[in-house]
Amino acid sequence: MYTPLRIDPAKALGDIAAFQRKLAAGMGHLRGMREPEYANTPRELVYSEDKLKVWHFTGHATPTSKTPLLIVYALVNTVWMTDLQADRSMVRNLLEQGEDVYLIDWGYPDGADRWLTLDDYINGYLDRCVDAVRQRHRLDAINLLGICQGGAFSLCYSALHPGKVKNLITMVTPVDFHTPDNMLSHWCRNLDVDRFVDTMGNIPAGLMNYVYLTLKPVRLNQQKYIGMVDILDNPIELENFLRMERWIFDSPDQAGEAFRQFIKDFYQGNKLVKGTLEIGGRPVDLGALTVPVLNIFAEQDHLVPPDASRALGKHLGSSDYTQLAFKGGHIGIYVSGRAQREVPPAIHQWLRARD
Amino acid sequence: MSDPANDFIRDYQTLARQSWDAWARQLQQPPAAHPFAPAAAQAQASAGNDALERTLAGLKGYFEWMQGAAAGGVGAPSSDWRQQLQQLFGGASQPLAQAFSGIDGAGAEGFTRQWQAWMQAAQQPGVFGDLAGSHGASPAFGLNREQQMLQQDMLSAVTESLQASARYQALIQRANAQGMERLQDKLAEHAEPGRQIDSLKALYDLWVDAAEEAYAEIALTEEFREVYGAMVNTQMRVRQLQQRQTEQLCQQLGVPTRSEVSSLGERLQALRRELRAGNAAAAKDHTDDIASLQRELAALRQRLAASKPAAAGAVPTQPRRSTVKKSVAKPKPRPIAAKKSLTEATPAAARKSAAGKAAVVSRTRTPTVAPAKPRKRK
Repeated sequence: MYTPLRIDPAKALGDIAAFQRKLAAGMGHLRGMREPEYANTPRELVYSEDKLKVWHFTGHATPTSKTPLLIVYALVNTVWMTDLQADRSMVRNLLEQGEDVYLIDWGYPDGADRWLTLDDYINGYLDRCVDAVRQRHRLDAINLLGICQGGAFSLCYSALHPGKVKNLITMVTPVDFHTPDNMLSHWCRNLDVDRFVDTMGNIPAGLMNYVYLTLKPVRLNQQKYIGMVDILDNPIELENFLRMERWIFDSPDQAGEAFRQFIKDFYQGNKLVKGTLEIGGRPVDLGALTVPVLNIFAEQDHLVPPDASRALGKHLGSSDYTQLAFKGGHIGIYVSGRAQREVPPAIHQWLRARD
Repeated sequence: MSDPANDFIRDYQTLARQSWDAWARQLQQPPAAHPFAPAAAQAQASAGNDALERTLAGLKGYFEWMQGAAAGGVGAPSSDWRQQLQQLFGGASQPLAQAFSGIDGAGAEGFTRQWQAWMQAAQQPGVFGDLAGSHGASPAFGLNREQQMLQQDMLSAVTESLQASARYQALIQRANAQGMERLQDKLAEHAEPGRQIDSLKALYDLWVDAAEEAYAEIALTEEFREVYGAMVNTQMRVRQLQQRQTEQLCQQLGVPTRSEVSSLGERLQALRRELRAGNAAAAKDHTDDIASLQRELAALRQRLAASKPAAAGAVPTQPRRSTVKKSVAKPKPRPIAAKKSLTEATPAAARKSAAGKAAVVSRTRTPTVAPAKPRKRK
């Protein structure tokens, strides 16, 4: 009978010593490092309102697509995940493919934004952003790319304003919020969200991050940093690591009223798939959504389980529906090497066939 | 009698610990003080230290675990590996608890810790006064009735919150215990030559897999859902009561309260919605008017065209078209966004916002949308 552990004590002590040496050597790198920059693909401001900005990315080549693509990001975290670093930038990759890319940067809500509702975001801000892009290009309808919660917003918007959306792409977008493996939804179900928002006002980003970390507490709060020790002596890898840390923790607070509605109607009520959702008093009917839809989800997504996204196909009225499963996680779908090779080209080809 | 092998390990551990403490101190050392450094930069440095401390806490937990494992002779051929696992991953030093305690950063300030501090402060005579109801709820009356009731509510809320937090912690402990069982199962699969775990890191990674699986299973149970909801809801109840107490104090001092500011914000947002709706309706009415006038113009043109053959033989006096011109205003196309009057934060306000400070809506303007410019080819 063998024991499963065969750890040589001398080797164990050597491992500890090596761990310490790496830490000591990495200390100098850490102390000297500046805040890593995002990719900062050249862009111009084309519309702004309150804290919101619409950026137009100015690539080197003339776009080959006739219809501009507006990216609608989630309210949680910042939009710069789409343009994280030069060699891991979905935006840059889309430009290279020939897309004409716009992006809504929601900004950082503060007390003045406490009473913004989903109606204000979807029928207000988002609608005016779409109008701004439509007007620039003198088009009736443009293409939308909604990411995560921004995908849910884009679905609602497309259902409410069908004439303004030509093609819709949803990425890692939750549609059915009650799939059995949706941990966030499970935790929200018994939450007294009225008391929560009445007490907190805007929901602090730190609290949101705390919840995300507790989805995988050991992996995200300890194992990840142990892994970091291995790259402390590699300035490039370390910079990439710190850039991702910046993106994770430099995140905006959530406007209280919009948060209340989103938790109640989407996470708790699952109204988007039940067909009972109303935004600004108007019903949102996915069955009435007939624009072409490309739905991309990540197979190892712990925030938006694949089944939560797959559900879109069952509830959509559109006869032109395409589904793309990506081998990766919620973040890897934007920044992994595989994502750079697979996702933007797939988006471009799909759009091109419908341009 | 001294044992050279154990003495060596002990000495090594002491040296390693001293080394750890030294570099941790150095890493945590703040940068040289700059007498003119803005307060915001100092606050940022403080936030950075918080993140660093969180990272260090995780690393130190791992480091101590490795030391314990090495000192305990884990993996020695004659050892009882199941018992060793219990020592390594169970008890007070179990890493899952460390992982959770390490998450408590400034952003999600340890609520339980906060309230425990409040309880201690509240129970000290002379701080908040001798709390009525601290020995159980009792009827309140007289001039201070409302204050007494509030204090009783607070005590009750804190007690409930601590109880809910204790239930949550019990579930975390259960997840840890089940993680241990899973680890044993996983290790049992490695009990053959060639598949044995031969490094502390490999053992740690296997434990992380087991712990996360066990935690995820518990976190998706009905019980966890109920306990989690109760923990958050009771914490919010305590916060609400704390806010009410603070507001009472502010009112006495003539300081504007959060409720008042929030109420103003709500009214302002409602006004903005009404304004937008009014503008949109006006724009829509205008569009309807234009469409109506265009239809009228078309009809008049048709009538004019139809009347021309009849009037061809008549003596021309004054053209009828001039009448039409007078009655119909030519529609002026307006840019879509220009119909709306919007507010926009200035760059300075945006910077303030980015720094986490309250930004003030600075001015009202009509946004303009620049026409799309073609990009140059490569």
